[in-house]
Amino acid sequence: MNIRRVLALAVLVALLAAAGAALWRSAQDPHRDVAGRLASGLSCPSCAGETVADSRSPMAAAMRTTIDEQLAGGRTPEQVRDWFVQRYGPEIIADPPWSGIGALLWILPAVTLLAGLALAVRTATRPRSSSHTGAAHEPSTGTDEPAGGKDPAVTRRAWDVSALVLVGLVALVAVGAARTASEPNPAPPAERATSSPSGEVAERLARGSRLEAQAEFAAAAQAYGEAAELRDEPAIRLRQAFALLRAERAAEAARIARGVLVDLPEDPEALLVLGLAQRADGSPSATRTLRKFLKRAPEHPAAPDIRRLISG
Amino acid sequence: MTDRASHSPDEAPPTRGWHRLWWVVAAVSVLGLGVVLTAGLRFEGTGEGAATGPATQVKDEAAAPLAGRTLDGGRFDLADLRGQVVVVNVWASWCGPCREELPLLAETARQWSGKGLSVVGLNVRDKDAAARQMLVETGAENLTVVTDPEGTLAVDWGVVGVPETFVVDRDGRVRVRAMGVVTRQWLDQHVLALVRS
Repeated sequence: MNIRRVLALAVLVALLAAAGAALWRSAQDPHRDVAGRLASGLSCPSCAGETVADSRSPMAAAMRTTIDEQLAGGRTPEQVRDWFVQRYGPEIIADPPWSGIGALLWILPAVTLLAGLALAVRTATRPRSSSHTGAAHEPSTGTDEPAGGKDPAVTRRAWDVSALVLVGLVALVAVGAARTASEPNPAPPAERATSSPSGEVAERLARGSRLEAQAEFAAAAQAYGEAAELRDEPAIRLRQAFALLRAERAAEAARIARGVLVDLPEDPEALLVLGLAQRADGSPSATRTLRKFLKRAPEHPAAPDIRRLISG
Repeated sequence: MTDRASHSPDEAPPTRGWHRLWWVVAAVSVLGLGVVLTAGLRFEGTGEGAATGPATQVKDEAAAPLAGRTLDGGRFDLADLRGQVVVVNVWASWCGPCREELPLLAETARQWSGKGLSVVGLNVRDKDAAARQMLVETGAENLTVVTDPEGTLAVDWGVVGVPETFVVDRDGRVRVRAMGVVTRQWLDQHVLALVRS
């Protein structure tokens, strides 16, 4: 084996290893939080093969917001998944199916990798072709004859057969994918569940969400308040506070946020609401509170806006 | 040096013949694959042609809630329209094909106002100003449009993309769903039948 062969083999192996690593990585789930994991488990219905977590499409963004609202409202991930399945059908669950056409999605890359590996091995172990010795045989379109080694016709045919099989497999997957995409599956006829098992609280939270979306902040705060009476959780209290803030009742919002901070002294969301409430009231401690929020949660989605607010 | 003309006449012709055949077969399969993939792409778009109309699903399920602020600052609640047939059209200003059907929907709304059929738009993941602009441009300012900036109302309806149209019967049940631009024929076929029944 000369140095060129070794290098070629090394490049091939490196590429295959990278491909293998990429395949393995794509099967991993990068999301650690509950909402992210839920979103990664749902497939974006209008995008080919993307999950709700990864997709940039507007409907996927809407689904992510819906997931957040429902989780904040106290639903469990299973309940949220069921809710989505009722509306979009079972195909919205993103786990790649291990039967039928779906299996090909996993088998095909694996087969390609193995075929590539086999070719790499063959290249490494093939005896030198006569072109290296400078003999009069030139490499033409397929009749070069390596000195010794396997029968060239068989080798070539094996190459071509495997190439064709690969092309055929890819075509099969393409047809299958086109076929499944073109049939809009009707949603299951079962009635939608309007209340979840944790009924009372979830219902009020959902009402609050809806009212907030309709810019009815005072009514939304009322709904959240009722939910908080039934289940006194910081998350629900903070939603109430936030709605009060938007309803221009900053003093009440501040009171609730302070209540949360008694139990959770450094909670970033509570600091955020308190800081904004203080700012609305013109209180001088607003900036200090908001800076504390930024220190606790520099990666919070609202952080850039808050930074701008403080410095502006 | 290499001499391309020196193909000796006693090179194995059968191997060459096979070889050419494989190349042809390979070329044909690649071409075939291209055709298949292109054919597959045709099923992706939802704006697939006024000639054939939108993809249609027949359903029979209770409509999800649809209540909220309208573009002109008013309030809307689908529950108030029980007893009428309601066409719910999901659209957005960033949706090109939606532009084609807005004039038709506005005209339908005008024609049938007070006669048992209502049309309401659901403006999803959009900005009020852009939405109003689109209505002006398409002559559809008379349309009642509920805003859904977060898109959560649309998700409750199982919306996949835009445009989509749902037809709700007098008992508040969704009976038909179109995924794609609706045409006059489609409305005649699926909506007016419900109105007249």
